[in-house]
Amino acid sequence: MIKSLEVGKVFNMNRPNQFIALNGISVEIPAQRLTVLKGPSGSGKTTLLSILGCMARPTSGRVMLKEEEITSLPERFLAEIRRQTYGFIFQQFNLIRGITAIENIMLPAYPTGEKRTVLKKRAAGLLEIFGLENKAEASIEWLSGGETQRVAIARALMNDPAIIIADEPTAHLDTKLSQEFMDIMQKLKAEGRTLIIASHDPVVYGSAFVDKVIEMRDGAITDSGAKA
Amino acid sequence: MKQIEAQRNILDFTLSSLFRRKGKNTALVLVYTLIVFLLASVMFFTHAIRNEAALTLKDAPEMVVQKLMAGRQDLMPLEYLEKIRAVRGVSSVKGRLWGYYFDPYFGVNYTLMVPGNEQIKPGTIVTGEGISKNRAVEQGDFQAFRAYNNNTLLFQITRVLSSESALLTSDLILMSEQDFRSIFGMPRTHVTDIVLTVKNPRELGTIANKIVQLLPDTRPIMRDEILRTYDSVFNWRGGLLIVILSVSVFCFVIFAWDKASGLGAEERREIGILKAIGWETSDIILMKFWEGVVVSLSAFLLGILLAYAHIFFFSSLLFGPVMKGWSVLYPEFRLVPFIDAYQISTLFFLTVLPYTVATIIPSWRAATIDPDLIMRS
Repeated sequence: MIKSLEVGKVFNMNRPNQFIALNGISVEIPAQRLTVLKGPSGSGKTTLLSILGCMARPTSGRVMLKEEEITSLPERFLAEIRRQTYGFIFQQFNLIRGITAIENIMLPAYPTGEKRTVLKKRAAGLLEIFGLENKAEASIEWLSGGETQRVAIARALMNDPAIIIADEPTAHLDTKLSQEFMDIMQKLKAEGRTLIIASHDPVVYGSAFVDKVIEMRDGAITDSGAKA
Repeated sequence: MKQIEAQRNILDFTLSSLFRRKGKNTALVLVYTLIVFLLASVMFFTHAIRNEAALTLKDAPEMVVQKLMAGRQDLMPLEYLEKIRAVRGVSSVKGRLWGYYFDPYFGVNYTLMVPGNEQIKPGTIVTGEGISKNRAVEQGDFQAFRAYNNNTLLFQITRVLSSESALLTSDLILMSEQDFRSIFGMPRTHVTDIVLTVKNPRELGTIANKIVQLLPDTRPIMRDEILRTYDSVFNWRGGLLIVILSVSVFCFVIFAWDKASGLGAEERREIGILKAIGWETSDIILMKFWEGVVVSLSAFLLGILLAYAHIFFFSSLLFGPVMKGWSVLYPEFRLVPFIDAYQISTLFFLTVLPYTVATIIPSWRAATIDPDLIMRS
């Protein structure tokens, strides 16, 4: 479904502090499967995830989404792909403080031009799925760690994306919450969504339903293949 | 339709965003409102008072002729009256008696005048509202005046002039010709100046020239010239106040620029999140545009309303004394509401537009960066 061909990423090019984050990465992310990018900090997982998720452009190489080359698309089209095809779960969850849980969930759908009542209904449905229906009007600051995590997942699902991208989603969670997170991922996979998670947490890459683990170090792939 | 819904959704989010930063935005709106209030007050006042002056002078004589001596105004001999009456085109000529009386007790000047259109009984006076308030006297009370020869003259107030005409009558005292001449010791052969009307107003300039040729020691002053003088006096005062205010405007510009253009770390983070979850650069600019519009437009409308109330309902409490200062005794009066669309639009373009632009530019810069920065925060 998603392919990267010889993707390289250099930060601060031609400056004294030039840094090569990715070095000719070629990977294939299968559709409707859960793929984990595994590796220590600084290995290039997040950079690769950003490029696969249309959030950053590679310095070299190409990215294909459903056989379509997306690397050279203008920013407007990339934003549309991010909105329609991807759902993002960030390391810090990155919810907007000061507004309610339901408003946070509705945010990715605002530019689509759907009626607010329709959006509210859909967001309320998501809250219900995650057992947060009584937290709809609660401000984000008042939610517990687990609740915040579930609101972030609900936000990622708001536009019903085919692909879910998660960057170190369990980094700030205890084992119980990490396990809960993986249970939700399992359900999403069962719904037929493609999942890409960057993580060095054994709870994530050790899960039984992970289909593929891509190991990275120093901006290169050290091992890539179906999980044993 | 989808576009309108998208705009509505983004506007909704903008409003809740503004509400989140209550402290910052309230402070901004307050300072902004204050600036619009001050500028609008000066504008309203200047225009309304000029309008008022024009209305008041509408019934003023078309021409006043003064006698000059060594470049200063001198008493006008009565024989000049007959000479001017004989000038072709002049329809009526009247001598006026008026002057200033300094009240040492209150330290103010009054304008003493013999009215041309009403007879005042000797020993009585009609006073302006300002004098009546200042001296705490009313109809029926007696007032003493010290004459040129140190004699004290006593007058009974028969009427107090209404406040509707207070702009020019606040410090006015009307009295009989006999009393006026007794106070100032003015000879019966002279008057203060001459007012005249002409048959054809277009010939005003020609008649003024004829008078100067006939009586070279006189100076004709036309009504339009008086209006122009009032205009420039109030424009000058308005301008002076604007210059003083410009310091505060400048401070506001720095403050607003800092608040509007300096995106905080939290705002940058939010822009990054919005971009990452699929907002386009144009959506973010739209959001910031609405933010600028909401802040500046509400401050603008609030400032205009407050200024309107200040000038037309509270008699320009704040800087009336600077702007009015008609004579030493400030006239207290309410201006007739007068608003000019041109003024309002000028103020709008000077306040709302720059602020909105100042909000958009930095957001545009922040919105064009790659959203992956948020992945690293």
